[in-house]
Amino acid sequence: MADPPNTQPQVATAPTEASDDVLRVEHIAKRFGPVTALRDVSLHLKKGEVLGLLGDNGAGKSTLIKIISGFQKQDSGRMFLHGQPYEPKSVDDARAKGIDTVYQDLALIDELSVYHNMFLRRERVMRPVPLLNNREMKREARQALDGIGINIPRIDVAVARLSGGQRQAIAVARTVNSDSDIILLDEPLAAMGVKEGAQILDLVARLKEEGRVSIIMILHNYVQVFEACDRVNMIQDGRITLDRPTSETSVEEITNIVVDEYRRAREEEHAEAARSGASTSDGPPPDGAPQPS
Amino acid sequence: MASVAHEPAAGGPGRGPQSPADAGGHRPGWKAVLQRVISLREGSIIVVTVVTAIYFAANTSSFFTGTNFKTLLPYFAPFAILAAGEVFVMILGEIDLSIGAMYLFAPILFFKMNTSVGLPLVPAVIVALLMCAAVGAVNGFFVAVIGINSFVATLAMLFTFEGLALIVSKGTPVATPGASLHTTTQNVTHIVNGHAVTLPEQVNHISTFAKIFGGGTYSELIWALVIVGILQVVLTFTRWGLYTVAIGSNKLGAAEAGVRVKLVMIRNYVLCATLAGLVGIFEAVRAATVQPDPAGANEILFLAVAAGVIGGTLLTGGSGTVVGALIGALFLGILKEGLVLQGVNANYLLFYTGLAIIVAMTANVYVGRVRRGQGSG
Repeated sequence: MADPPNTQPQVATAPTEASDDVLRVEHIAKRFGPVTALRDVSLHLKKGEVLGLLGDNGAGKSTLIKIISGFQKQDSGRMFLHGQPYEPKSVDDARAKGIDTVYQDLALIDELSVYHNMFLRRERVMRPVPLLNNREMKREARQALDGIGINIPRIDVAVARLSGGQRQAIAVARTVNSDSDIILLDEPLAAMGVKEGAQILDLVARLKEEGRVSIIMILHNYVQVFEACDRVNMIQDGRITLDRPTSETSVEEITNIVVDEYRRAREEEHAEAARSGASTSDGPPPDGAPQPS
Repeated sequence: MASVAHEPAAGGPGRGPQSPADAGGHRPGWKAVLQRVISLREGSIIVVTVVTAIYFAANTSSFFTGTNFKTLLPYFAPFAILAAGEVFVMILGEIDLSIGAMYLFAPILFFKMNTSVGLPLVPAVIVALLMCAAVGAVNGFFVAVIGINSFVATLAMLFTFEGLALIVSKGTPVATPGASLHTTTQNVTHIVNGHAVTLPEQVNHISTFAKIFGGGTYSELIWALVIVGILQVVLTFTRWGLYTVAIGSNKLGAAEAGVRVKLVMIRNYVLCATLAGLVGIFEAVRAATVQPDPAGANEILFLAVAAGVIGGTLLTGGSGTVVGALIGALFLGILKEGLVLQGVNANYLLFYTGLAIIVAMTANVYVGRVRRGQGSG
């Protein structure tokens, strides 16, 4: 695959030295065999900030999240947590350092109850015999869910019995409840009804107000990005191509960037096709907004 | 009463122990009791086993007798222990076929350690079990780290170690160390017609070692009950059990949550192989012979897996019960013993066993459907 010429300004490749950055990611690259997921990604996250990560499917957003959360290791590049080099050895290690994640595939265990899911890897156990303290976990789980205003009628049922939105809410509640100071949310609003989605956004807003945690959030819906985030980064083709506070940009601008990108890709395809002699009868690319597949 | 019977059992979908006490405090009717039993994960196999026992009790005169219970034990207790270990692997969504080889190999190792190396009996048992544990770790390594399908990996280990058992033993049965009988003449006092009569009698003794490790009449039963009890608690009330279910239900999700998937998988294979070795030693002590017989070991392997599945553990993983495996083993034991008592021709025994397992599993699945149907919250 040929690199598209970089007409976009490379805003974020060299992060500015800011003392209030809790997390800095510098020149991260990651390949999976022949596929390059991340070419050269740099970003930074300030304390108490909500950073929205945008980009098409396959742009590398989830890979970036998995690297920061310790689930995968980058091929090259460095990360800094509170100014110190950050090299998570595992998910547990990252969590011990204060970074917790809600994955796109939720990481919920269908056969386990709501409260066991919420406390997976953070189980409350009795002493001296380390048996599970189910009563305590139920109590705390109920408190946590009530505290963030999510209505789950019964927390001792297997999560397989819950709706997509309820499952998502539990995954988010699990992370919020974990005393981490950086939370990564990979499409927290996927599979959610309007009301449930609004509850999650409210929760994010409340966390932002408290100012204790910093959040990186992958979202598809631009309107929601502007509602929830302080700043937005756009990943295209394994690079950050836009880094701007939401107050200085708009849904229209971001939509235009995506549409431009789409046009340019199409034009290149045509140019390629023309060069290889196979003339095509395709018309020019449509003017409307791209349909994210 | 009717309202109790028609209410969905509140504990239905949850895991065993949290089914709530009857709210009203009045005595539940038999329908409610039945529904409570069925709402357990083990419920269906309990019903099937009880029905089977009643059938044989009605059709044979000696089924519910003490002596029959004693003859039933060896058909049941060893399988309960084997199946308890296998359940921990099956909940992962994997299988361990190599338990047949561990069952065969452990007593031979025990024999060699005692006779060739000169270790005392108990250390020889411990070394043999440690070697089984090591094989279990290798199983787990191939499945969890290398990523070989567990059926194929453990089948290969089954052949390898059954072969090794034949090589090491040269295919010859030997007397189990520490299991030989010694006979003494003792004065035994009986009360006959109100008179104390003391006569010299021949009395057989087995060593304390043999009594504990399978030779005593109830030795294997006690081991089985203790092991099943402990492992059910481990499965339901510890992190280990929670992670085992988590891996079987959603391996990637468990890994993302930070569960050390490979470690847990290897640990479960170690448990399974070690228990299989222990049962092998029990059986060798009980029979007083170390018999290098792969065909017999394979049959025992399949019956153990069957006991787990009949007991309500899914081969697909994510769900299972150790107590169920015990009841599954009891069902198989009752079936075999009942058929023998009915005077079924030995040539028909396997045939009827196969048919009975199919019938029982059909009933099991049907009752299970009733359970899930009523359990929706």
